[in-house]
Amino acid sequence: MRLTDEEQGILNGAFGEPERIALGVLTKLGDAYGAEDMVKIASAHIVGSSYQIAGEAGIEIYGKLVAQGAKVKVRTTSDPGSIDFARWREFKTSPDYAERQIKIADLLRQMGVIPTWTCTPYTTFNVPKFGEDLGWSESSAVVFANSVIGARTNRLAAYVDVCAALVGRVPRFGLHLPECRRGEILFELSSDLGANFEDHFFPVLGYFVGQRTGDRIPVIRGVRHATFDQLKAFGAAAAASGSVALYHMVGITPEARTVDEAFGAQPPAERIAVDRRQIAVTMEQMSTGQSGAVDVVGVGCPHASIDQFARYATLLQGKRVHAGVELWICANTTVEAMARRMGYVDELERAGAKLMVGTCHNDCPLDAWAFRHLVTDSGKFAYYTPTTVGSGCTFASTEACIEAAVTGHVHRQ
Amino acid sequence: MNAPQNVFQGKGCAPGEFLGDAVVSNQPFGFWQGIDPQTGVVIDKRHDLCGASLKGKVFVFPYGRGSTGTPGIFLEAVRNGCAPAAIVNVKSEPMIVMCALLAEAFFQVQIPIVDGLPSDPCQLLKTGDRVRISGTTGEVEILTDRAT
Repeated sequence: MRLTDEEQGILNGAFGEPERIALGVLTKLGDAYGAEDMVKIASAHIVGSSYQIAGEAGIEIYGKLVAQGAKVKVRTTSDPGSIDFARWREFKTSPDYAERQIKIADLLRQMGVIPTWTCTPYTTFNVPKFGEDLGWSESSAVVFANSVIGARTNRLAAYVDVCAALVGRVPRFGLHLPECRRGEILFELSSDLGANFEDHFFPVLGYFVGQRTGDRIPVIRGVRHATFDQLKAFGAAAAASGSVALYHMVGITPEARTVDEAFGAQPPAERIAVDRRQIAVTMEQMSTGQSGAVDVVGVGCPHASIDQFARYATLLQGKRVHAGVELWICANTTVEAMARRMGYVDELERAGAKLMVGTCHNDCPLDAWAFRHLVTDSGKFAYYTPTTVGSGCTFASTEACIEAAVTGHVHRQ
Repeated sequence: MNAPQNVFQGKGCAPGEFLGDAVVSNQPFGFWQGIDPQTGVVIDKRHDLCGASLKGKVFVFPYGRGSTGTPGIFLEAVRNGCAPAAIVNVKSEPMIVMCALLAEAFFQVQIPIVDGLPSDPCQLLKTGDRVRISGTTGEVEILTDRAT
């Protein structure tokens, strides 16, 4: 790789040990993937903020870096932690586990990381611009930043994101290069799907696209309108079931005003028609639970927006969560504060729902609950739940999730 | 050219040398939710290696799958001395290469990775084969006698 004099100085240790180690990792990564040089980044977002991910190795790594005086050089936000810092006892987290997560929080704070504890940093203190280069991890945030905003980041791994933050740079390869952002596979929605899609169509479509795409770049044609939350849900599902880091939705996302633009005027290498039957089959695959009793309901994956809070409050109006059922709404502190001001939090808590802030069902240890059956409206939860929550899972629309929380039962649709 | 037939040239993705036994699978593998970092044993119930130990082995699989949290689990295994000692892939995706680079940077452990061999390493190599691997030169040598 071609390095600037300043970068050569960093590698020689002139700027400190953390910077030397960090740039060493990044130059080797660049060499392995044919990067010609480094590119400066506008921000970083780090996934190793959770004790469940970082573990004791993370405490050791962050501890060493902090002892050596490590400071982030660009705006850097944290992904969810493994506890709700205010309510971890309510979620049956052990004090010892909470202490390990609090230790990580302390080390990240000393490095200057903004403690957003969210998978949706783009709704709080880390809002990228079109065309900006970033050093992000968290697959659902990466796919949102690349696709919906048109910023540029590869899917960085835990700790590599910290390396990027410590030197404010990443190797220029992959999605930082315009020629590597072109579509590779075309998904065409069939007319039997109609033109108006309900919210839960998007995570199902995302799950289907992820399964068929792997790590290629999909282009979706046939969606005429999609909200912020629908795009968020689509991308999170596609990034979980595949390794999708960038998608183009023709007429919706900024690098795909036309099919031609999305593919860089090349013909698609592969075309896949998506019809009603495939959507129904995918929705079936997303569930492992059977119709019947429900003990936990999870919404807010990725973290809920203020619009989603309004929707949950409306759906729960005049109702109560069934005895023996947990309804957990996952969110970040910024949206929580606004939802509280809007009166939604009071309404939801009065109805028996719980807020789970700064973490989620997937990041928080839930063994003590011994849940048997989760119902969720998230494609990402549906993908990971069998291993993270350890329960059966039914994927359902948001309405059906709230209904399941109220009745204590779910019917496979 | 009379290079021995048991030496294969690929591309070195992460540096280091290792000599040891192979564990081979035809299925892609994700370390996150895939391995117990305290033991090195595969815990992914959907995977054909479930129950097998990767500790100190040359792990041969098509390509890595999965979460950006992968190095969390991988480095925990490295720290416990329970990670694979070397990796051979059909194609190494950045997530797995990043794991090896981080292991070297933060725990001074080299985990050589080679991909791009002339034929599919998951067919070429069998579980239990004695293998020498160089992540620096990209060479993989099978030491087990295959004469029949």
